[in-house]
Amino acid sequence: MPDFSPVYDLIALIPLDCLQAHFMQQALLGLLLLAPMASVLGVEVINFRMAFFSDAIGHAAFAGVALGLLLAVPPRISMPLFGVLVGLGIVAVRRKSSLSADTVIGIAFSAVVAFGLAVVSRAEGVARDMQRFLYGDILTITEGEIAFLLVLFVVLLLFQIVGYNRLLLIALNPVMARSHGIRVALWQYVFAGLLALVVMFSVWAVGVLLVTAMLIVPAATARNLAHSAGGMFWWALLVGLSSAFAGLVLSAQEWLSTSSGATVILVACCWFALSLAAPRDAARHA
Amino acid sequence: MATTNTHYAPSVCFEHVQVHLGGRDILKDICAQAPAGGSTVLVGPNGAGKTTLLMCLLGEQRYAGHIAFSDGKRLPRTAYVPQLLSLDRGLPLRVDEFLTLHRQHRPLWFGMRATAVRDAMHLLSLVRAEHLASRRMGDLSGGELRRVLLASALGRDPELLILDEPEAGVDVRGERLFWELLDAARSARGFTQIMVSHNLPLVAHYATHVICINKTVCASGAPRATLTSRLLMQLFGVPIHLYPDQCDPSAPGCPMCGAINDMAEAQGCTLSTALTQQSIGHATAQHVREEEGGHA
Repeated sequence: MPDFSPVYDLIALIPLDCLQAHFMQQALLGLLLLAPMASVLGVEVINFRMAFFSDAIGHAAFAGVALGLLLAVPPRISMPLFGVLVGLGIVAVRRKSSLSADTVIGIAFSAVVAFGLAVVSRAEGVARDMQRFLYGDILTITEGEIAFLLVLFVVLLLFQIVGYNRLLLIALNPVMARSHGIRVALWQYVFAGLLALVVMFSVWAVGVLLVTAMLIVPAATARNLAHSAGGMFWWALLVGLSSAFAGLVLSAQEWLSTSSGATVILVACCWFALSLAAPRDAARHA
Repeated sequence: MATTNTHYAPSVCFEHVQVHLGGRDILKDICAQAPAGGSTVLVGPNGAGKTTLLMCLLGEQRYAGHIAFSDGKRLPRTAYVPQLLSLDRGLPLRVDEFLTLHRQHRPLWFGMRATAVRDAMHLLSLVRAEHLASRRMGDLSGGELRRVLLASALGRDPELLILDEPEAGVDVRGERLFWELLDAARSARGFTQIMVSHNLPLVAHYATHVICINKTVCASGAPRATLTSRLLMQLFGVPIHLYPDQCDPSAPGCPMCGAINDMAEAQGCTLSTALTQQSIGHATAQHVREEEGGHA
């Protein structure tokens, strides 16, 4: 297990009382790893019009917890595994079936929620996990989870370096992308798998109700503010990171005392509202 | 970027290509050839299977039969110009960024390489669209977007260029300009071109070979010999008159157009329709040429 204490010492240097507590330092580190991943993937989620997909994966978290209960596997393991499985499954069905993407995702969505409900309705003592599933709980993030987030962060960084251009081409026209020699199916599967993992961690951070916002809001804001596809990446990153930091710190203030996940999303939504006032690129060229 | 005349251009031979989907024959026993270095156009009504045949060629659609290239050992380097992109206006993707997407390994968020930008500008100059470089893709007009897509495809330095109704939804002038640029690029680089098009006057003007399809091959060959009024009547069910000298005055109906019998009598002389269509094609061609001459 890596030792994060130098990072915590660094965070403690920030002159804010709330960041002196160890659990807050852990939460901040977790969020600062998760927010950029979600924001940047959000750019691609928007390009692929996959907001509904990420919502369905988020809800698979519920069934993941239920499955963990059934098989006596810790929910922290069963949730991400099941999420990835559902994500890859949806991509596979979409590729093979003539049904529209919405319909396939809608069916998967219903199936995982129904399965989760069915199992939970039989089991007892899952209230803690259920609450966590609904509202998120970044404040209880463990060192092990942070270490995993760090690994995921590195993987995703490499993925974005190699795949950003390719994914954009695939989003624009998969047939054209293939004619450019891009292995469309492979990229779609890897993207769905990574997205599912990030969504699962986002469910822990902000809860299933807000998981899509974590992906979409920074990317949508970036769309309004950026003047290029490259710029969109950096704006999404900036909005995601600043919202995570400000949201966590604000939620810990005594005069506010709100849920950290919800506050993070609210700050991001304020960013979005501001971005609507930004001058449109098109207007300048008109 | 190399623009060479000594380019390898494959001929494409469709041998008994069949596609059967959901209990229906989409394509039946397609046997046809697209000559090397030629401009082959697939002509036929909607639902005739033209796009499906292109998808077979691109490897996107499973089919029975065989598609052979003249250099049987390898697949030609292929570029594809789609009809449209799934692009919404909000995406801040610039034209020069779009053209560098597949020309650099560096992700766009690290910026564009100077060489990639130079290449993009060169490609845009090939389609007379340098002025669009910093525009958003979503803000382009239909004609501008098709030219940028053509530039992107040319960037592949293709041996085989496949286009699926690239001029659909483009105004007459834009359509004419697109064909002219395409023809110039093919002459300069010598690739084999296969496209689907519904603009018959422009097909007649620019294509070197046509394959008429309605689930199966109805005819193929040089446009003048193939696109007879009789065949077009058979394909589309409406009188179309592309070449006045192919008329058969002795046929009943319109004295100048042998394609029509009963319909001609019912509608009066259809020659006007036919000639109007043709004259639009040629008048536009003329007009664009003149304007371009003016700009030059």
